[in-house]
Amino acid sequence: MELLTAIFFDFILAFCVAFCWGILFGTPVKALLMAGLLGGLGHGIRFILLHSDFGLISATLIASVTIGLLGIYAAHKVHNPPVVITMPACITMIPGLYAYRSMLAGIKLSDQAILEKDPNIIPSIAHNAVLTFSLLFTLAVGISISALLFRNKSVKQIRFDKSRLLAKGK
Amino acid sequence: MMENKDKAQKKIKANEVAEFILDAGVFLMASGAHSGRVWRNCKRMADHWGYHMNFNPTFTGIMVSVWDDKNSENAVTRYKTAPQNSVHLETLTQISHLSWEIADGKTDYDDACRKLEAIKNKARYPFWLVALAVGISCGCLCTLAGGSPVDAALAFCGAAAGSAARHFILKKQFNQFLSFIIASAITTLIAGTDTVFALGKAPEMTLATSVLYLIPGVPLINSVIDLLEGYFSASIARSLFAASIVSCIAVGMTLSIMLLGINYF
Repeated sequence: MELLTAIFFDFILAFCVAFCWGILFGTPVKALLMAGLLGGLGHGIRFILLHSDFGLISATLIASVTIGLLGIYAAHKVHNPPVVITMPACITMIPGLYAYRSMLAGIKLSDQAILEKDPNIIPSIAHNAVLTFSLLFTLAVGISISALLFRNKSVKQIRFDKSRLLAKGK
Repeated sequence: MMENKDKAQKKIKANEVAEFILDAGVFLMASGAHSGRVWRNCKRMADHWGYHMNFNPTFTGIMVSVWDDKNSENAVTRYKTAPQNSVHLETLTQISHLSWEIADGKTDYDDACRKLEAIKNKARYPFWLVALAVGISCGCLCTLAGGSPVDAALAFCGAAAGSAARHFILKKQFNQFLSFIIASAITTLIAGTDTVFALGKAPEMTLATSVLYLIPGVPLINSVIDLLEGYFSASIARSLFAASIVSCIAVGMTLSIMLLGINYF
């Protein structure tokens, strides 16, 4: 029960983040809700995966790919390109903390006294920078999943109606 | 009937087509579309008007060639510099819709020009709403990262104040990198009080999450998408742009951290 509450709390917070991030990026009003829902869902999935001992990077990859795939469907619902929705949704998982840590360690590196006291800052910079870039890369893969899977095809041309699938089957 | 219609559309000169494509493409690029999207949108319009096209997108501008298969005289190559980058995803929606309207033959050239002009002048969200939204999202991110309500409140104040300050700096037409430095300095100054006076439980999270609204997420992610799709020059330009913004944020944070006393952090 406690875990469920935590997941729900995570979902609500991530919903707010994605919704507000949509306003910052100028997402159209009718797509904002969808962006919020996808963001909340993606972050919730990542939360669950992290709790079941997935690595941070693989959890983020799965979450962002889920957002990217659901975004194609959501884009059809609100008649917007998928990027408009998936971009704010994926930004909820932006690795700000790791970027900040590598930057702060970088500032400290300029002071010799601090460096001599704690030489661990150099590996800490490397670790955090690598984490930041890997997480960014996974987010980009999630957003561009439609371009990767359906090469050179506009998302608008992907159809969901069953009639066409059946026709193909025949 | 169909042939007549096609003939009537053939009359549009290559130069006009190129101009329209450049106008739309450059604006898309500055609003945060990746090169593949710009290509698809432009190609759709050129195809309808009966022209072949090819283009070289760089982040700072687009070079486009438009030519008619049947008339080798009717060809043109032009370049246009992109306006200043400012992310606005609604533009992507609207230009995409416009390009579909053109491709379906619902809009003729003059109408399309008028519609593009209207899209360019479309109002954005008011700055106070953006500042509020930015504050809320940074507060929520702070809570997500494990901050207490006090941390979140400080992140909210810092982010909202910084976002509003950035709006006014940009309004005065200062260099945009300067706006990033000042905004991140203001945000860090406010968020840093958490660390200095030990107000919340996780002051590190306040600092780390309150400047996230400045992170150039769209250029960063677009640069990776461009890389995956093979637009290398655009990808490099975008990542350079994003990297310089990130370093500007770092400079602003460093200024404030030095001002507040580096030993606290």
